[in-house]
Amino acid sequence: MGAPLALEARGLRKTYGGLFGPGQPALTGLDLAVGRGEAFGLIGPNGAGKTTFIKILLGIARASSGSVKLLGGDPEDVAVRRRVGYLPERLHLPHAWTPPAFLASVARLKGVDAPPAALSDLLGRVGLANDAGRKIGGFSKGMRQRLGLAAALLGTPDLLVLDEPTDGIDPLGRMEVRRILLDELARGATLFLNSHLLAETERVCGRVAVLSAGRVLREGRLEDLCRSGSLYRVRFAGGADAGAVAEAGFTPGREEGLWRCEAETPGRLNEALDRARRAGALILEVAPEEKDLEEVLQEAVRGALAEEKAA
Amino acid sequence: MRTTLAVAADLIREALRRKWFLALGLAITAVLVTLGLSLRMEVVDGALAATRLFGRMTRGPIQAVDVALRPVFEAAAWLIFYGGSVFGIVACADFAPALLSPGRIEHLLALPVRRRELLGGTFLGVLALSLLAALYGGGGLALLLGVKTGLWTWRPLVAGLLSSAGFAAIYAAMLTTTLYARSAAVSAAVGFIVFVSGIAAGNRRTLIPMFEEGIGRTLFAGYTLIFPRLSSLGSAAADIAASRPLEVRSLASLLLGSLIFGGGVLSLGIWRFEQKDF
Repeated sequence: MGAPLALEARGLRKTYGGLFGPGQPALTGLDLAVGRGEAFGLIGPNGAGKTTFIKILLGIARASSGSVKLLGGDPEDVAVRRRVGYLPERLHLPHAWTPPAFLASVARLKGVDAPPAALSDLLGRVGLANDAGRKIGGFSKGMRQRLGLAAALLGTPDLLVLDEPTDGIDPLGRMEVRRILLDELARGATLFLNSHLLAETERVCGRVAVLSAGRVLREGRLEDLCRSGSLYRVRFAGGADAGAVAEAGFTPGREEGLWRCEAETPGRLNEALDRARRAGALILEVAPEEKDLEEVLQEAVRGALAEEKAA
Repeated sequence: MRTTLAVAADLIREALRRKWFLALGLAITAVLVTLGLSLRMEVVDGALAATRLFGRMTRGPIQAVDVALRPVFEAAAWLIFYGGSVFGIVACADFAPALLSPGRIEHLLALPVRRRELLGGTFLGVLALSLLAALYGGGGLALLLGVKTGLWTWRPLVAGLLSSAGFAAIYAAMLTTTLYARSAAVSAAVGFIVFVSGIAAGNRRTLIPMFEEGIGRTLFAGYTLIFPRLSSLGSAAADIAASRPLEVRSLASLLLGSLIFGGGVLSLGIWRFEQKDF
C-alpha cells in the first residue's frame, strides 16, 4: 500500500462549450498524484489547463470525465474542503472591508474559531500587521495577495492550493511568502503551487509536473527533471588556451571561463580533462550540468509539439 | 443553515458599507426626526383636536385619532411598497453579480460552503435588508405617532412585511437572472419587468377587456397569470395600514402566489448554480 495521497487525478478530461460544436478541450486525460506533505509545482505555458485543473480539484468546475480525489475524498464534500486553503489567481476582495473583517468572514464560512488575537497574529505573519485598520480597497496588488494568503492559511489546512501566490509581491515579500510556505511544509501541510515564476517553484517544490495542452508532459522530482545526464560544467582558471580547450572536447559556456563537456562515462570526462590539463588549462570546478525549470519547460513543450507534428 | 445565515450576515455587513443603504437609512431617519421635531398633535378624549406641522395649524375636522391617522398610515404603506420595491431593485441589483465576480466566486466555492447555501444566504440577506428597511420606516412612523397620540398600532408593520414579501418574489427573479447573465443592469431590468408585470397581474381583470379578443388578449392573460399579483398585495398592505376591510378576496392566496413564483425561480437559480462551472 502506497503513501497516502493529498490529491489524485485519473484520466481527467474537461471540454468547455460544445453545445453546438466539438467544444474547447482544456484537459485531455490528465493523470497526477501528489503525496501528503509534499511541495508540488505545476508549470506550463498559458492555456495549458493549469487553472482548469485547480478548479476541478476544488469542485469549482466539473470534469467532463475522469476522477479526482482530494485528501482521499470527494472535492464536493465540505468536510474535505474544510481542510484545504486556496488562493485563487485573481482574488477579488470586498473593497469596503478591513482585513480582520474579511478574515473573520472567511473563518465563519470555514467554521474556524478565530478570535481577534489569532487574526491579528495571522496578519502579522503575512506582513500586514500595520495595515489592519485600513480598507482593502486601498491595498496594492501585493497586499491583496498577502491577505489572500492569510485567508488560505486560516484553520491550519492540510493542503494549500496556491495559484500564483507571489504575483505582484516585491522581491523581499516573495522571500517572506517563501518562508511561510516552507514553514507550512515543515508543519506537515501539502503544498500545491501553480506559478509562472519558475524560480519560485524551484525554490519551494520538491516535485514538478509540466502541463501543456491539457496533459502532463513530464513529472517527477525536481533534481531528476533538471539533470541533463551526460553533460558537465567545467570552469577553468583564466589564461587557458581557448583553442586547445575546445580541441580537448569542450564547448564554451555562457560565461567567461565556463565550458561544457558531453561525456557518456566518468572515464571519458576524465580523459577530456586530462587533455585540457596537458594543454595548460587549470581546473577550478567540475559539476554535472543542471537545467533550470525554464529549460525543462521549453524542452518538454517543444518535444510535445515535435511529436504532434510527426504524428 | 449556519453557513446560510453566515452568508446572509456577510451580505448585510457589506450592504451597510454601501452608500445606497447608508443613504436610505439616513433618509428614513431624517424623515422620522423631522416629523418628530416639527409635528405637534393634541389629543383630547381620544380625538385629534389640533395638528401643527412646522408650527402651522393643519385644517381638518376633529375626529377620532385612529380615523384621523388612517390616511397617514395608508400613504406610508403605499410609499414603502412601491418606493421600497423600486429602491430595492436598483440598490440590490449589484449584490449577486458581485458575488459571482471572477476571483470571488472561486474563493467562496473553495470554502466549505455548498452552492445552495451561498445562493440561499444571498437571497436571505437581501430579504433581511428589505425587512429591516420596511420595518424601520413603518415601525418608526408607528412609534412616532404612538408617542404623539397615544395610539399604538401594529398595522404599518404588517404593511412593511407584505412589501418585503412582494420584493422577495422580485429579487428571486433578479438573483436567478444573474446566474444566466452576470450583469447588474440585466438583473435590474428583470426586476423592473417582474415589478411592472406584477402590477399588471394584479389589475389583469381590468386590463384584459382593453385587449381585443383574439391572440393578443390570450397572450396577455397567459403572461399575467405567471406573475405574482404585486399591485393587489400593495393594495392589501394599504388596506391593512388604513384599518380598512381588505379589497382582495384572499390575502393568503396573494402571498402563496408570491411564494410559488419566488420559490420557483429560486429553485431554477439553484439548479443552474449547481450545474455551472466558474
